[in-house]
Amino acid sequence: MPVAASAIYFLNLRGDVLINRLYRDDVGGNMVDAFRTHIMQTKDLGTCPVRQIGGCSFLYMRISNVYIVTVVSSNANAACAFKFVVEAVALFKSYFGGAFDEDAIRNNFVLIYELLDEIMDFGYPQNLSPEILKLYITQEGVRSPFSTKPQDMRPPANATLQVTGAVGWRREGLVYKKNEVFLDIVESVNLLMSQKGNTLRCDVTGKILMKCFLSGMPDLKLGLNDKIGLEKEAQAKARPSRSGKTIELDDVTFHQCVNLTRFNTEKTVSFVPPDGEFELMKYRITEGINLPFRVLPSIKELGRTRMEVNVKVKSLFGAKMFALGVVVKVPVPKHTAKANFQVTAGRAKYNAALDCLVWKVRKFPGGQTELTMSAEVELISTMVEKKSWTRPPIQMEFQVPMFTASGLRVRFLKVWEKSGYSTVEWVRYITRAGSYEIRC
Amino acid sequence: MALSGMRGLSVFISDVRNCQNKEQERLRVDKELANIRTRFKNERVADSGGRDLGVGSSHVHSAHGCGGPSFVLDIKCPTVLGLVQLEQMVIMNGMTFLLLRVNFQGLTPYEKKKYVWKMLYIYMLGYDVDFGHMETVALISAPKYAEKQVGYIVTSCLLNENHDFLRLVINTVRNDIIGRNETFQCLALTMVGNVGGKEFSESLAPDVQKLLISSTCRPLVRKKAALCLLRLYRKNPDVVNVDGWSERMVQLLDEKDIGVLTAVMSLLVSLVANNPEGYWNCVPKCVRTLERLTRSQDIPQEYTYYGIPSPWLQVKTMRVLQYFPAIEDPTIRRSLFEVLHRILMGTDVVKNVNKNNASHAVLFEALALVMHLDAEKEMMSQCVALLGRFIAVREPNIRYLGLENMTRMLLVTDVQDSIKRHQAQIISSLKDPDIRLEFSTYNYTVAEPHGLQLLCIRRRSLDLLYGMCDVSNAKDIVEELLQYLTTADFGIREELALKAAILAEKFAPDLSWYVDVILQLIEKAGDFVSDDIWYRVVQFVTNNEDLQAYSAAKAREYLDKPAVHETMVKVAGYLLGEYSHLLARRSGCSPKEIFIIVHDKFPTVTTSTKALLLSAYVKLLMHSQPPEPELQELVLGVFKKYESYVDAEVQQRAVEYFALSRKGASMMDILAEMPKFPERQSALLKKAEDTEGDSAELSATKLRLQQQVSTALVVSDAKPNGASAVPLTRLSSAPRNIDQMGLPEVAPQPPPYANGAVPRAAPATGAAPPAPPAAPAPAPAPSPADLLGDLMAPLAIEAPPGVGPAAAPVASTPASAILALEAPPSAGLAPAPPAAGDSLALALMDGPPQVQPIGSIADWFRSLSIKESGVLYEDPLIQIGIKTDWRGPHGRMFLFFGNKNAAPLTSVKAVVAAPSNLRVQLTTVPEIIPPRAQVQSPLDVVCIHASREVPVLDFSYTSVNVPVSLKLRLPVVMNKFLQATPVSAPDFVAKWRALAGPPTKLQEVDPNPNNIVAAATFYSETGGATLCLIRVETDPADRTQVRITVATPDPTTSFEFKEFIKEQLIEIPYAAAPPPPPPAPSPASMGLTGPAAVLAGLI
Repeated sequence: MPVAASAIYFLNLRGDVLINRLYRDDVGGNMVDAFRTHIMQTKDLGTCPVRQIGGCSFLYMRISNVYIVTVVSSNANAACAFKFVVEAVALFKSYFGGAFDEDAIRNNFVLIYELLDEIMDFGYPQNLSPEILKLYITQEGVRSPFSTKPQDMRPPANATLQVTGAVGWRREGLVYKKNEVFLDIVESVNLLMSQKGNTLRCDVTGKILMKCFLSGMPDLKLGLNDKIGLEKEAQAKARPSRSGKTIELDDVTFHQCVNLTRFNTEKTVSFVPPDGEFELMKYRITEGINLPFRVLPSIKELGRTRMEVNVKVKSLFGAKMFALGVVVKVPVPKHTAKANFQVTAGRAKYNAALDCLVWKVRKFPGGQTELTMSAEVELISTMVEKKSWTRPPIQMEFQVPMFTASGLRVRFLKVWEKSGYSTVEWVRYITRAGSYEIRC
Repeated sequence: MALSGMRGLSVFISDVRNCQNKEQERLRVDKELANIRTRFKNERVADSGGRDLGVGSSHVHSAHGCGGPSFVLDIKCPTVLGLVQLEQMVIMNGMTFLLLRVNFQGLTPYEKKKYVWKMLYIYMLGYDVDFGHMETVALISAPKYAEKQVGYIVTSCLLNENHDFLRLVINTVRNDIIGRNETFQCLALTMVGNVGGKEFSESLAPDVQKLLISSTCRPLVRKKAALCLLRLYRKNPDVVNVDGWSERMVQLLDEKDIGVLTAVMSLLVSLVANNPEGYWNCVPKCVRTLERLTRSQDIPQEYTYYGIPSPWLQVKTMRVLQYFPAIEDPTIRRSLFEVLHRILMGTDVVKNVNKNNASHAVLFEALALVMHLDAEKEMMSQCVALLGRFIAVREPNIRYLGLENMTRMLLVTDVQDSIKRHQAQIISSLKDPDIRLEFSTYNYTVAEPHGLQLLCIRRRSLDLLYGMCDVSNAKDIVEELLQYLTTADFGIREELALKAAILAEKFAPDLSWYVDVILQLIEKAGDFVSDDIWYRVVQFVTNNEDLQAYSAAKAREYLDKPAVHETMVKVAGYLLGEYSHLLARRSGCSPKEIFIIVHDKFPTVTTSTKALLLSAYVKLLMHSQPPEPELQELVLGVFKKYESYVDAEVQQRAVEYFALSRKGASMMDILAEMPKFPERQSALLKKAEDTEGDSAELSATKLRLQQQVSTALVVSDAKPNGASAVPLTRLSSAPRNIDQMGLPEVAPQPPPYANGAVPRAAPATGAAPPAPPAAPAPAPAPSPADLLGDLMAPLAIEAPPGVGPAAAPVASTPASAILALEAPPSAGLAPAPPAAGDSLALALMDGPPQVQPIGSIADWFRSLSIKESGVLYEDPLIQIGIKTDWRGPHGRMFLFFGNKNAAPLTSVKAVVAAPSNLRVQLTTVPEIIPPRAQVQSPLDVVCIHASREVPVLDFSYTSVNVPVSLKLRLPVVMNKFLQATPVSAPDFVAKWRALAGPPTKLQEVDPNPNNIVAAATFYSETGGATLCLIRVETDPADRTQVRITVATPDPTTSFEFKEFIKEQLIEIPYAAAPPPPPPAPSPASMGLTGPAAVLAGLI
């Protein structure tokens, strides 16, 4: 087990320490000053997340307005350290109710110290699962043993046994009146398209999120329309696989609850789920991607002080579907003075802080719908004569519910439990924009 | 600033100030910029849409009918260029105001002002503001003061002199300057002064000058005019016309108003700095002003500062006076000195800090002036006494100034003696620990952090000590410095060490003291001793034989100490490697012990030192011939170990030394002692000068100083051994770096003596090599021109009288080889100076056009007779190299002609005259050798029969109309046709017996273990392969006598061989008592000395 951190600091953007925890003695308490003076106050911040100063490595990341800095003096595992930080942030978020920023930290000092003690020991990461930690680190006050209310006398869960048991991620004896499973397939599309419409780079990263409200110790089995799983099934049943699209998944990673031996032999995803919300698997797809939108930009510079921008966006998904929160950002030169717009839908304006024309469409209908935005941009004449404008790409944001860019589908989700109760399964799909860029 | 009421602006500023971080600030600023852009744009649109057409057309009607349409277009698309055109057209018609008013129709003056202020604020926050200049510039021509002020201020901040926009406003600015409104005049003058471009100078300087001398202006305006003119003049002295200004300056100096006078004086300083001659007539006025000030006549209350009448003006006036050479006029001079005397006497240290500052400023300027004027001794010593009082003051600022001025004084005048009286005081301020305590009370006067200031005081006192050091007090001062070194601040240590080293070198009473000092220095402050310092020690030791043993012993002592700095390891490693054999008799100094001591430090040092130590080991090994088996084993073990070291340099050295140490004789050649270094200026001095250069400001005093001859001449006993130190070109066979021994600073590296000459005899060889009869060039190798310069300078001053040109004729006659042999080894030094003088004298007699070879032709020839490749001849223009390949009776020789010059060599001719015993064929040589190019021509040689005759190369060329012709002997000597033949001992005896008596066998001997024998086959065309047997006998007790026996089947071959070997042996200079003999590679080799080794090399 590699060391992940000798100390962890939470800093605000000015470099003040919000909270810190030293796990080992091999770094000094003032190491964070070095970080402040050598990293934060120089312009290099953000170019490389690992920096070395005076024999110590600083691994840092910024989350909203907080820098989280891990300091190590030994040859630590950087990936482990970053994973730890990411997980810790997820844990804090689940405790604070979703927000993680300077204020959240200031409001939860005690809780954070308690958690920091628990999730890492002498530099080695420990259990970071919110479900388990919430069993014995609670935000509620401790009730007096002399409390008269009988319903509070429930014995505390045996945390030790739980953590060290065979199914460490699930508590025994859960009972729900209504047994439900929610399955979300969330995909984000990354695209870089050339001026002429050639795809330069395109991939989809997806994850399957689950929310389980199931009684007892259920065993779940998930079937997708992915290639390996289908072929295996076809072999087992000795019949040709059904026609239809099969998806090749790359880089699949599973939650620890998934039984990997069974996955390796039978190619089925079977697991005993943790209670509540978790991320079942992650994958990546690079081929056979259905793009949700096509963008046709045309930007003309008319002389030195005028520009004509014309952007046409076409939806490529089914007519019954629609996209939400579509934002198209068209970069303009820095010395833009004002812009006059004409849009077929939505609203557009010039954002000076971003140096972009921002066009927002709340609901974008599917089925080859074409919307256009045309703008007349006026530039102010500047002193700098020769600085030519390096047209950055147009960026797009959107969400398309019930659409997967990869074409992935859930074929079945089976639940077995000793008591044999019936369950309700809910499946949702959603596709988002990752970095969706079109050169212009 | 009329900020009141500009709510938008103050809101913006407070927004920016309230930003939590840089990012937020940037967002806010970007938003504001976008807002301003939109505003400015709107108004333009309004302009071009509405009114411009009207103006354009009215303009068209009024002036240029034909230029109309394009003009209107320009307004619609107001690019910079278009505007400039427009502006120029409009200006021509005097319509500036009209245009600019039109341009700003859309915004109210209030808004204009507000946005331009915002732009300025954003600009001052460090963001790029690359628009809106048009609006700014337009504000200048607004009629109201508030707007005009904004326009002027923002223009002078945002625009620099190269901006086109400035051209737009020249006319407006000019109108303001020549206008009657004083406030506008002031604004305009300030802006012009701040921007000060070339165009401004061209078009506005005359007006500003007029304003300066006008009698109607108020003093305020004239003050500004003077400063504005000063600025314009500083920026473009060639543009501002100052002809005839000396008269005007004289008039201006009569000014009663002190403010104007101060400004004018500043202008005068600048004018005089450029052209001191033209302003002589101002001197009396300046002196008068000074008098007026010091006597406090007619000084208004507002110009006295703590009771001192305008200290600024006093300082400036004295500064002006420093630009003039000494004042001749006795009356002026007298009154000036009176004034100065008054200043010097009237100044005292008082309680009030501000008053002190002012009075000291005046005082120190007065001191500078006194120094400049070369006042009589009495006044000088008065000054020194005054400064001495300052040095004793506990206040750091004053003490600093006192020290600094004393240093300056020291450099200018001859007051050393009076300064020396303060030596103790100065040394105490170098070390005084109390200064620190003193400081806290005065902290508020000191801008710098006080640690730094402290350091400055120490540094100044160090400078002063350095400056006042001479032969009489050098020992004391250097010892003080050494003592102080251990406790000194880290910041000053390097400088301290450097200065101590320089002083030790400059004023050393004897050189062993110098070596002591430097070694102490390295011991005490190793980290701060730069490489230059120890390089210098090595140079000294190498050039002084008497010092070598001493310094080696010293180095050995230092290595015994428990903790040794790396620099010490370096210097000790070098010295012990080179000279430890001189200590061999002392206890604990056997090569093995030395090796163990040095190697003790090896693991902890850096790679560069490791490399150096490896060289030292191989030298140790070489010096201990016959090798102690134990030592050899140890050293070879080290080499073996480092053959796979990660650092390339160390690895290469290890591999090469390992191979070399098995080479015997050639190892001897390559590893011979380092020859002397050519005399040169100490690199340390140069370094010290560099560091000084940036500290002091360039005042008139300083300027004068630089013209003086540097007093820092290196005094040393080391006589430049001219001839012997003349760099031979590097022989390619010597492995890289072997001769450098980590002395990269030493540029021309003389290689070790190729002929295997033992070190002590080296100067002798250099002095008297036998001149080859064929070569026309004089025998002792004269130096190339550039080296000559180096040699001549020290010689002219330092050479003892006996070594002058008078000695030249004696030495220039080619001394015979026997003479060289007879030269006692201990006289190594003696022949050297004549040789040096000789080369100098020769160069003087021959005059510059004569092309001289660099080095000795005979030496080259000799080294080539036992080597396969090398330099045959070299002079400043050409280098001829040779590479040979021998197989039986045939040989192929490549001649390389390298043109070292930037001009081509023309009419190149090369003819080889072959003797009867050889057949030689030379391919043609091209007639022209292009600059910096090399041509090669192969030469085929066949040996017909044995003979000592060698071919002669008749070579001639012309470079820049200087014809040069040479006759060079080619090294086609007999031994080239020999090939070693392995013969077993009984075989040898049998064959030896078989060849009976003379003439085939030329001498008879008895078998003796001290003899060496060799067998080789001689190839020639007529005789085919001939077996040659050679026997060399020496008397083990006295190796000065040698007997050679040559046996071959052919009588002529025997004879020729005998003669040839004899010739070679006699030419070899005699080896002195401890010669380091390399192991001979021949099969019958035994440890034999000098000649035998050479013989082995021959065969």
